[in-house]
Amino acid sequence: MNIEQILAIILFVAMFILIVMDKIERHYVTLGCGILTIIGVFGIAMKSMEAITETLNIKSIFTLGFWYTAGNAEESTSGINWATIIFIAGMMVMVEGMAKAGFFRWLCMKLAKMVHYKPIPLFITFMLMSAFLAMFIDSITVILFLAAVTIELAKLLKFDPIPMILSEIFCANLGGSATMCGDPPNIIIGTSLGYSFGDFITNTGIMAGISLILVVIYYFVVFRKELAGEKLSQADVDAMPEPKEAITNKRDFVISCVIFFCAVVLLVTHAQTGLTVAFIGAVIAIITLITSGSYALKLLKQVDYKTLLFFIGLFMVVGGLEQTGILEIIAGYIGTVSNGNLRLMVAIIIWVSAIASAFVDNIPFAATMIPVIKSLSATQGVDLSTLAWALSMGTDIGGSATPIGASANVVGTSVATKNGYIIGWGKYCKSAAPATIIVILVSMVFIFIRYC
Amino acid sequence: MAKQTLISISREFGSGGHEIAEKIAKDLGLKFYDRSMLDEIANNMNVKVEVLEKYDEAPRNFLLTRRVGSHTNSMAEILSEIQFDFIKDKATSGESFVIVGRCAETVLKDYDCLISIFVNGNKQHKLERVKEKYHLNETDALLKMARHDKKRKLYHNRHSDYKWGDSRYYDLCINSSSLGVTGTVDVLEYYIQERIHAYK
Repeated sequence: MNIEQILAIILFVAMFILIVMDKIERHYVTLGCGILTIIGVFGIAMKSMEAITETLNIKSIFTLGFWYTAGNAEESTSGINWATIIFIAGMMVMVEGMAKAGFFRWLCMKLAKMVHYKPIPLFITFMLMSAFLAMFIDSITVILFLAAVTIELAKLLKFDPIPMILSEIFCANLGGSATMCGDPPNIIIGTSLGYSFGDFITNTGIMAGISLILVVIYYFVVFRKELAGEKLSQADVDAMPEPKEAITNKRDFVISCVIFFCAVVLLVTHAQTGLTVAFIGAVIAIITLITSGSYALKLLKQVDYKTLLFFIGLFMVVGGLEQTGILEIIAGYIGTVSNGNLRLMVAIIIWVSAIASAFVDNIPFAATMIPVIKSLSATQGVDLSTLAWALSMGTDIGGSATPIGASANVVGTSVATKNGYIIGWGKYCKSAAPATIIVILVSMVFIFIRYC
Repeated sequence: MAKQTLISISREFGSGGHEIAEKIAKDLGLKFYDRSMLDEIANNMNVKVEVLEKYDEAPRNFLLTRRVGSHTNSMAEILSEIQFDFIKDKATSGESFVIVGRCAETVLKDYDCLISIFVNGNKQHKLERVKEKYHLNETDALLKMARHDKKRKLYHNRHSDYKWGDSRYYDLCINSSSLGVTGTVDVLEYYIQERIHAYK
């Protein structure tokens, strides 16, 4: 192992440790380690200007293929995945606009009213809604609103919201795995390997769909006693707020609904139209800002730029591992262990990804693993998409197992705990860990049957 | 004492800081907040106070918890934030009080009427106090002191821009071993009265 490889590994490990320790904000950590990678690994150790330009990858933004691909989707080169960053930024702007108009709260209250606030239908409806929304919107936003409304309903209707929140969190992660734009690992996988929304929905989407049916049944069985115990009085129902009260401004509400609909249509059809996710993200953000009028500046300020900077730094650090050949070594190791057996490769990727994602942030993990599976596919002659779906399901679903595995878990348990409904590791893992194992098993068997 | 007075007292374990704070509050006729604030918080959250007690002034477990933006699933951090809001609310309402620990000198740093005090002590003196108070032998007492001070330091440094016990960031740091609890209270009360006059 040479000096640049050792340096790249040290920076990568240091980044992970510092993220876990959370003493320094994570975007400073990744940016700091990223800059050190550029200077130390590429500049001093490798003396390679080419590695720096490839990792910064700025020139890719100014190519036509970045915004529009006629025919097949184009694979991104290594380094900073600007398409992911622009898309996430665009969706952040759209979601801020929707939240401001009261869309999410309205939707939750409307569905609750439609099922007459009855605990079991409410439980199932919110699970399905969580999964559906998370297919298009980041799971943090989905859970933030769902958990808040669940607690509000629980207080008014006097039921325990913890079973609902736990199932909503799981379904948000599951829904996110179904599409290219649902979960950050999928966005990175899709843009890095050139897969479309349709590719995801017809592969991970089917696995998520089958799993969702099983998960709804599983959570219902697990929490049936708590749900059966809830009794509603007419007075409780009468005291519920009207869904329309959630709408802060009718004009903004209608606009946000239209923009959301357009975003979904553009995403679903992007393989046919040739518009890349970067283009869709940028257009959605611009339309949201134009229609927001004087509120546009405030909307821009509310964008979580820290997450975007986190991604930029992360891609630089992973670029260090990629340029120095570390990831090829890992791929070679997996290839040797699996001895060219695709099923074994899939099993290793899906379970290692799931276990790792249960304890560490799945975004850096997915970003690191993409070059690994690319190399594995090239050297072992196996189908890249099969490995990609295994990686996607492993990272997306593995994060559901523990309260720290995915952002939605942290946000959901945090909102519940602040309101006096304390969800510790034991309570969380008791229901979520078996559900995670079920979904990972289902996904693995599905991949075996369909692709191997 | 018509004008608002806020007194934060941070302390090393065994220094008698808690007792000193309690006496000052009693002598000056001020409300006193310590661990007891958990009763009110537990009542508001509709949980048992015993559930919250183990997270009081505790640092987060960085391996088992995570933060996403302003959200954390660390019970210790959530309780800290609730306590900080509680302290701020009390201060905003115009109430005068003495508060022990809980990073109050950082939480209330924007208040001109805040008097921040750090009480420390000689190791031997603290050791004797802990042995007597908790009926412990020397080894156990030393371990208890080290454990509590480490916990307080980690907790403080997590929520503050400066280090726990750094004299540059407190109005007054005092070694309670020199004058004992009563003597230290007298000195501190004199200082507090002078500060209140100066502030008025």
